[in-house]
Amino acid sequence: MINTDKLEGADKPYIIHHLWVPRDLVCYPGAEKMVTRIVDLRSDTVTKPTEAMRAAMANAEVDDDVLGHDPSCFRLETEIAKILGKEAALFVPLGTMANLISVLVHCDIRGSEVILGDNSHIHIYENGGIATLGGVHPRTVKNNDDGTMDIHLIEAAIRDPKGELVYPTTRLICLENTHGNSGGRCLSVDYTDRVGEVAKRHGLKLHIDGARIFNASIALGVPVDRLVQAADSASVCLSKGLGAPVGSVIVGSNSFITKARRVRKTLGGGMRQVGILCAAALVALQENVEKLESDHRNARFLADGLNEIKGLRVDTSCVETNIVCVEIEEDSQTTAAKLCKDMEDYDILLMAMGSSRLRIVFHHQISSSDVHYALSCFQHSMNGVRNENDS
Amino acid sequence: MVAEKCNFKENMVTRIVDLRSDTVTKPTEAMRAAMASAEVDDDVLGNDPTALRLETEMAKTMGKEAALFVPSGTMGNLICVLTHCDVRGSEVILGDNSHIYIFENGGIATIGGVHPRPVKNNDDGTIDIDLIEAAIRDPMGELFYPTTKLICLENSHANSGGRCLSVEYTDRVGKVAKKHGLKLHIDGARIFNASVALGVPVDRLVQAADSVSVCLSKGIGAPVGSVIVGSKNFIAKARRLRKTLGGGMRQIGILCAAALVALQENVGKLESDHKKARLLADGLNEIKGLKVDVCSVETNMIFIDIEEGSWTTAEMICKYMEERGILLMQESPSRMRVVLHHQISATDVQYALSCFQQAVKGVQNEIGI
Repeated sequence: MINTDKLEGADKPYIIHHLWVPRDLVCYPGAEKMVTRIVDLRSDTVTKPTEAMRAAMANAEVDDDVLGHDPSCFRLETEIAKILGKEAALFVPLGTMANLISVLVHCDIRGSEVILGDNSHIHIYENGGIATLGGVHPRTVKNNDDGTMDIHLIEAAIRDPKGELVYPTTRLICLENTHGNSGGRCLSVDYTDRVGEVAKRHGLKLHIDGARIFNASIALGVPVDRLVQAADSASVCLSKGLGAPVGSVIVGSNSFITKARRVRKTLGGGMRQVGILCAAALVALQENVEKLESDHRNARFLADGLNEIKGLRVDTSCVETNIVCVEIEEDSQTTAAKLCKDMEDYDILLMAMGSSRLRIVFHHQISSSDVHYALSCFQHSMNGVRNENDS
Repeated sequence: MVAEKCNFKENMVTRIVDLRSDTVTKPTEAMRAAMASAEVDDDVLGNDPTALRLETEMAKTMGKEAALFVPSGTMGNLICVLTHCDVRGSEVILGDNSHIYIFENGGIATIGGVHPRPVKNNDDGTIDIDLIEAAIRDPMGELFYPTTKLICLENSHANSGGRCLSVEYTDRVGKVAKKHGLKLHIDGARIFNASVALGVPVDRLVQAADSVSVCLSKGIGAPVGSVIVGSKNFIAKARRLRKTLGGGMRQIGILCAAALVALQENVGKLESDHKKARLLADGLNEIKGLKVDVCSVETNMIFIDIEEGSWTTAEMICKYMEERGILLMQESPSRMRVVLHHQISATDVQYALSCFQQAVKGVQNEIGI
């Protein structure tokens, strides 16, 4: 091991784990045989099961969850329903299915319409399934940069029953908290309650795509059940920041969940001895909710650091949870694709969103030293680009 | 000839001036005669000869290979979208203020399983081309995305007040579609109005489109029906879908005969509908309390807005006008729509204008202003 104390600045390798070697800075016998650690910042879905989860999965008490109730699944569903303040819950393989089931159950009459954000996950990234499989018509309303939709625009989008000869029937409003495409921004409990009031006033249901609702809860300092109180249903991911290997949960009333169970079966999401996955999810719930705060801290630290780098820009006031969106400035002579490739050479994986934007997502398996490493690699990379182009 | 409404003799025949829509046109004597003597046959088992004549003529007029008669514009659009988007998981790009998206019960999704991707309509009925391109799904994201298959335009654009899309704009959208391997469908319910207003032959106007739906029952004045036009291959598939939806009618030559008369007689009358609309629009804009964006009146449709701070509402005006035999469409608490057609005479227009003037004044008098 080299003595790092005398190295300065960019020469100081971020070797906290002995397996790390920034390749171009240190070269000694055996270096090429070192195992490199991948810093995967593409998404919080990449979290791998911990030892405790693997043990729980191996020992999980299981049964046929379709013919009856798998006991581990039952325990998970009971617990998460309680945490979210709803009557019942249902474990599903994926957030996309959770949203699809929720929309389809609320909109079970043909000719239904759902109001949702034009930049929401359901509208953009779920293959249009609510329409192509579910026959529900989406009515989009503009998402603001902070993830909200203007309440008067939501109201304006509600179909007047007097026009029913030519209109579909609005049945549901969907919100997304945190809002993925805005960079993980949080909807406040006041905003959510107000949308809930609009829904009630017009006899509509409210569904919250709460894939990262726990992040919102931590960031806002509001208990998660209070945050979704106005909603008739919510979908919550266990496989993202919470770190379970697989799964999401839908929560709602007893009658809603009963119908949801049936739609889940129809879609092919009814798994048998699913307790194996639920056991890991229970461990995740116990262990990882409190780690979300440090993911947010890491995000803010990196955001501040990146914003200082010439050629990059981060709207640091928008970094509320564990997601950072990085803009590449126009005159910087690089592209998102190129920067991603450069960073990949440092074993840092990022997601390019378009030609001049990157997304970085933090999770509990990213340490603060990973963050320092990433920041220095960004600096190195952007410096390199400038040097290339200045010469 | 003044409109015959006298309110002192209840049994006088009152002439209704129906400005709610151009769909209200009633069949003329010539149409009734044609319907009565139409040559017909079973159009499902074979070809109804009159339907065939209409479809052949429409295809030629629109510059496409084939045509299909359908009961309504909604079915025309539904069939076109579903035929272009026949693979599950399809997406169609269309205007957020288009008829298909707003007024067709969401059928492309609820019946057809096609995902709509709405893009902002500008006030003139166009959609920004760069926004259209941005809305096209990147095939590299197919794991999460539906697959864009189709772009829809609407000409003339109803919710903008009957405004026309130029042939240059249409061609440019057609190029974008081709570049990305997409189809282009034009909801041309009032395409003849656009053609007359722009002075562009209707086949040139839709040249870039793979399919068009055209209403015969609106300004053209037939009692029933629309026609879709496209390639032979497209129309063959469309025919099957029409049957599935329940739109395959048997001896429809009856309706097609009326439509043939309408095509012959009424396309030439559209220009005067536009003139009447402009006259009415100018007159309405002069009335204190009402506002009409007269430069937006390009065809046969007028949106009338009630100025802020005015004491009247659209509902009150509509009621007042109805009492005088004039029917309007209320769009919102402060907006009304009037649509001109060939069965509205120049005198009707004058009558309507004077009633509007009284309506606004009358309300003021009632409230004591």
